[in-house]
Amino acid sequence: MNELGLGVAILEHEPTGRTDPDAVDATLAASGDASAFERLYRNHVPRVYGLVRRMLNDDDADEVAQDIFVRAWQKLGTFRGEAAFGTWLHRLAINVILARRESLGTRRKRYIEGDAVLETLPARRPGPEMAMDFEAAMQRLPDGAREVFVLHDVQGYRHEEIAKMLGLATGTSKSQLHRARMALRQHLER
Amino acid sequence: MNDQWTERLSEYVDDELTDSERIALEAHLQTCAHCTTIVGDLRRVIRRARMLREQAPAHDLWPGIARRIGATPAPTAKTVDLAARRRIRRWSFSLPQLAAAGIALMMVSGGAVWLAGVRAADPVVVSINNPPNATPAVIPATVRPSASQSYAAAVADLERVLAQGRGQLDPTTVRVIEQNLAAIDRAIADAQRALEADSANLYLNSHLAETMRRKLDLLRQAAALVPVS
Repeated sequence: MNELGLGVAILEHEPTGRTDPDAVDATLAASGDASAFERLYRNHVPRVYGLVRRMLNDDDADEVAQDIFVRAWQKLGTFRGEAAFGTWLHRLAINVILARRESLGTRRKRYIEGDAVLETLPARRPGPEMAMDFEAAMQRLPDGAREVFVLHDVQGYRHEEIAKMLGLATGTSKSQLHRARMALRQHLER
Repeated sequence: MNDQWTERLSEYVDDELTDSERIALEAHLQTCAHCTTIVGDLRRVIRRARMLREQAPAHDLWPGIARRIGATPAPTAKTVDLAARRRIRRWSFSLPQLAAAGIALMMVSGGAVWLAGVRAADPVVVSINNPPNATPAVIPATVRPSASQSYAAAVADLERVLAQGRGQLDPTTVRVIEQNLAAIDRAIADAQRALEADSANLYLNSHLAETMRRKLDLLRQAAALVPVS
């Protein structure tokens, strides 16, 4: 406890042992420092934008990415420094993305319909002439399978976390992931 | 061709099977080329996913974000905002308060420029004799407690770096840094005292936050002069 009678905030440290500059900038941004927030934006926009593009389509990516940073600015007061700023931002980004999906009305059936779409993918491994860019193949996955694949294999979340975020049973998350992988294995570069 | 294990192969490569399941599956893999091939492919898919690169947007999104959060990308943003605020609310400041703020900011700016020049011309290393141990409670009223702790921790961290690098820096460099830090601390203390009488004063809060930021910037620049051992 410090002189203010408050617990000590935990700052993430880089391997050098120096303070994470993101935490400092987040502190300044929370007090209204837009230039500090711009630094946070510059540091994190590639990862956030990649997440948006892979979970939504390209048409919405710019707008949704902007929404995420605007929401982050509004919610900076809830960032307590207990995790890295990037982790906090990433979770917030996923919430914004999922909310966008809800608003588009595409959420409800995609886990069911997705199975049918997956069945339409080639049952046998294609030859080299059918090889396609891995990113493009991901975009062809049904929404539900793509979300789980991106969150698990690209972003590194666990099934329990994904199930909680997406409102699924853990078993559903696992089966969606397996189906996504089975579809994508046909598009590996040979 | 599918068998009873095909649907479990992702769980296998993710190490999510029980020990008994894993042993049984590995025994199966000894005799099933189809499943063995799939396991290899699944691992390649996972490796490929981990190799995906981050993707920057084709266009800079910041101007749009800055507009939506009420910030102007240009450095004149704060001036504009303050002018708007003054139209809404009438402030009263003592001349000593304004003079102190002006002098402090000039010194800080001059110090920063001087430091930049020193760094470019001569890669010296800094050390401070008396790193301020007690970071004053310098948090504007608009800053939440956890933010104040983060700020204090950041300042303490940078001060520690400077203290550890002491002795490697030119004495003149050290003196200038100390003088500027002292001026900033005085400006911070002045702003804090003024805020005690008028905690809702937006200008004072903004000035205090800006002065704190300048202290952090100066410490960062000074710490950057310390060579990494």
